[in-house]
Amino acid sequence: MSQALYRKYRPQGWAEVVGQQHVLQTLRNAIAADRVAHAYLFAGPRGTGKTTLARLLAKAVNCLNEDKSKRPCNECDYCRAVSENRFLDLIEIDAASNNGIEDVRELRDKINFAPTQGKYKIYIIDEVHMLSTPAFNALLKTLEEPPPHAIFVLATTEIHKIPATVLSRCQRHEFRRVPVDEIVANLQHIAAAENIQADDDALALIARQSAGGMRDAQSLLDQLSSTGERITMELAQTVLGTATSQTVLDLVASILDGEAARGLEAIHHALDGGVDPRSLARQIVDYLRGLMLIQMGNESQVETTKDIKAKMSAHASALTPADVLRMMRIFNEAATDSRGSWQPSLSLELAFAETLEAPAESAPVTRSTPKQSAKPSASQLTPVVVSTSSEKSGATAPTIPASEIIKVWKSFQAILKKESASNLAALLNSVTAIDVQGNTLVLGFASDVLMSKMKEEEKKRASQLIADALGVTLDIRCEVANARGKVPPHVPQDGMVATAIHQGGEIVDVQE
Amino acid sequence: MTDNWNLLGHAWAVDMLRRHIVTGETRHAYLIAGPPGVGRRSLALAFARALNCSNPPAPGDFCGACRNCKQIDAMQHPDLAVIQAESEGGILKVDQVREIKRTVSLKPYQSSYRIALFLRFQEANDNASNALLKTLEEAPAYAILLLTADSPESLLPTVVSRCEVLRLRPLKVGEVETKLEGRGIEGSLAKTIAHLSGGRPGYANRLLADKSLMEFRSARLDDLQKLLSASRVDKFSYAEKLAKEKDAMRESLLLWLSLWRDVFIRAAKSDAPLSNVDRAEWIESLAGGLSVAQARKVVTAHESALRRLERNVNARLLAEVLLMDLPK
Repeated sequence: MSQALYRKYRPQGWAEVVGQQHVLQTLRNAIAADRVAHAYLFAGPRGTGKTTLARLLAKAVNCLNEDKSKRPCNECDYCRAVSENRFLDLIEIDAASNNGIEDVRELRDKINFAPTQGKYKIYIIDEVHMLSTPAFNALLKTLEEPPPHAIFVLATTEIHKIPATVLSRCQRHEFRRVPVDEIVANLQHIAAAENIQADDDALALIARQSAGGMRDAQSLLDQLSSTGERITMELAQTVLGTATSQTVLDLVASILDGEAARGLEAIHHALDGGVDPRSLARQIVDYLRGLMLIQMGNESQVETTKDIKAKMSAHASALTPADVLRMMRIFNEAATDSRGSWQPSLSLELAFAETLEAPAESAPVTRSTPKQSAKPSASQLTPVVVSTSSEKSGATAPTIPASEIIKVWKSFQAILKKESASNLAALLNSVTAIDVQGNTLVLGFASDVLMSKMKEEEKKRASQLIADALGVTLDIRCEVANARGKVPPHVPQDGMVATAIHQGGEIVDVQE
Repeated sequence: MTDNWNLLGHAWAVDMLRRHIVTGETRHAYLIAGPPGVGRRSLALAFARALNCSNPPAPGDFCGACRNCKQIDAMQHPDLAVIQAESEGGILKVDQVREIKRTVSLKPYQSSYRIALFLRFQEANDNASNALLKTLEEAPAYAILLLTADSPESLLPTVVSRCEVLRLRPLKVGEVETKLEGRGIEGSLAKTIAHLSGGRPGYANRLLADKSLMEFRSARLDDLQKLLSASRVDKFSYAEKLAKEKDAMRESLLLWLSLWRDVFIRAAKSDAPLSNVDRAEWIESLAGGLSVAQARKVVTAHESALRRLERNVNARLLAEVLLMDLPK
């Protein structure tokens, strides 16, 4: 079995490392000046060289070359041993599977023994973010003051999971994504060495797809080369499932013209040709981003051919920035949608249909929260229209809106409690519905028992309270509101509300 | 090219894997991604047989008759470890991965490669995926790790970048139909099933093997047809019934979703192939009464209902809201 390219071309010397100059320089200086720290923490996205540099460091500190600035030499016994993965003092620990406190204790027991071969014992703890909290804590003392012959290198992709107490004990190096042109140069180098025929624009596509991860780029090259043919742009696009920009252009044009059928056709045509729906969505977002850049006057940042740029300018002027933003959000959602739907194209189709709709009725990104009802805090008090069984109230317009009374209702209870008339306060608190009909205030009670307690005297007191607070004098009438399961006459007998009441619901709030 | 891989579609993937074996360039880790039922597991098993066949008729092929081939086919080969979550929709746990790391470090017992097959790896939890990373990057020379998943995006990016990714796509509906007819299945049934499968031969096989699936489908679609004109009271009582069994509710929602997608496609005046061809007339008439935006809303409502169901919301409430919002 041949090795995967990313294993075969793992750098063996400082010079082969791509990108990460800032880390490289620090480490080389440390080696040359013999000032190697006892603990390093390498953090950064996948495939940027963390494990590679950790191994190079291990090689360099143990290298036998006289000239310190030339270490690692890759010629001495120790260097070769490290390269062949048989160096006894390089201990590589997979923290993801040895993440318990027991594993750390074992490490602590063994670390005190002197190195068997070289000058230093190197512990590379990879995927260190997976260590459990007790394991991290058990490591702290050792990490702070390891024996002089031990060097720790911790590597992780998720720095935010590392406790601050560990961070402060390590020399921390942030690895950056590798720039596209450096990836391309490296791929060209590998292609030449492996005798792979590859077009430059195809390599550039691979580099862009891998988003700064060297391993991703080399894996993709590996995958493409395994077809055995020359790597052309077309081949790269088929295998990677990236759409040709023609589909994107068609799609945006059909959005502009509002032609649903044509847009869906373009999507299906592309998918039948083997394009991955998610990467198509990503391409659309990319294109829209280009439109946005043009609209904002940053035309120089858009890298495409002249033809496409002309079309982009036309599209950019036909759309408003707000439209472009909205479309970007919608398609971005489709692109990041991680659900493996039964129909892979569905989220893309829906996103497309959504962009066709007028912004006012869709705008799903900022879903408004349900309206807060205006009822006063925790009381069951609600402005329900109590049944107007007879016409004796004359159906005149209310002298004061019920909502005004509801606003001051709570304050009555406080007043009554001060007068130590707490019975009446409790009674008023149990009112479930308030309505004003003409000059009459209708109070709804939950049961006959409660209603019967509201005698003339209480009514008078309540009416006086209202007069004090709002300056209107109202007669008070009491009713039993909303007996369970009975539909009030003003509610349509076949409507949603009636159905809800039949199913055991209650009317608690009416909003206009 | 004649071969024993006997897979429907995915010719490019088969060619590629075969070339890997012939030229001795097999990678140590492959990720086979695609929608369920598209043939991910079949491809992985065929590849495993081709790797370990003791008597290959041609380079990169397998005989299907030797001991190795037969044992792999039955997933009982001593050098083939199959790891998956306990049940579909379950969780693949870290202990299972640790166990496999131990076996992978041992030399193969009776064939040339030790193969670890991880099914539905998107179900692996974070610990399990992370525990596999080191093995996935630098497996021993005699070990090959095969992962299947719904999509690379549903896995940790650190896992994906360590594998060679094969994205399997659904086949053309026509291909599935021809294949079904070739197996002696009556024309209209073959057509219906091929369209229903959406180009996933594995799903088509399941539909054929299990008659109750088709019966369930037509019952639920009939229900939907009745519900559209039903009164609110009927809808509420149906929602109550529907929410009693969560699995059946999920299946029903999926069926309805596929139907509404057809309506959506026709409402947009596109002539893309429908999934539910046997109900084409009904779909056309529904689509006639809806605008594209309305149809999209119904589809989106079903989609988000499915998503919410997974998040354990009140199933009955969900069913009620969904049924209330159906167009009239």
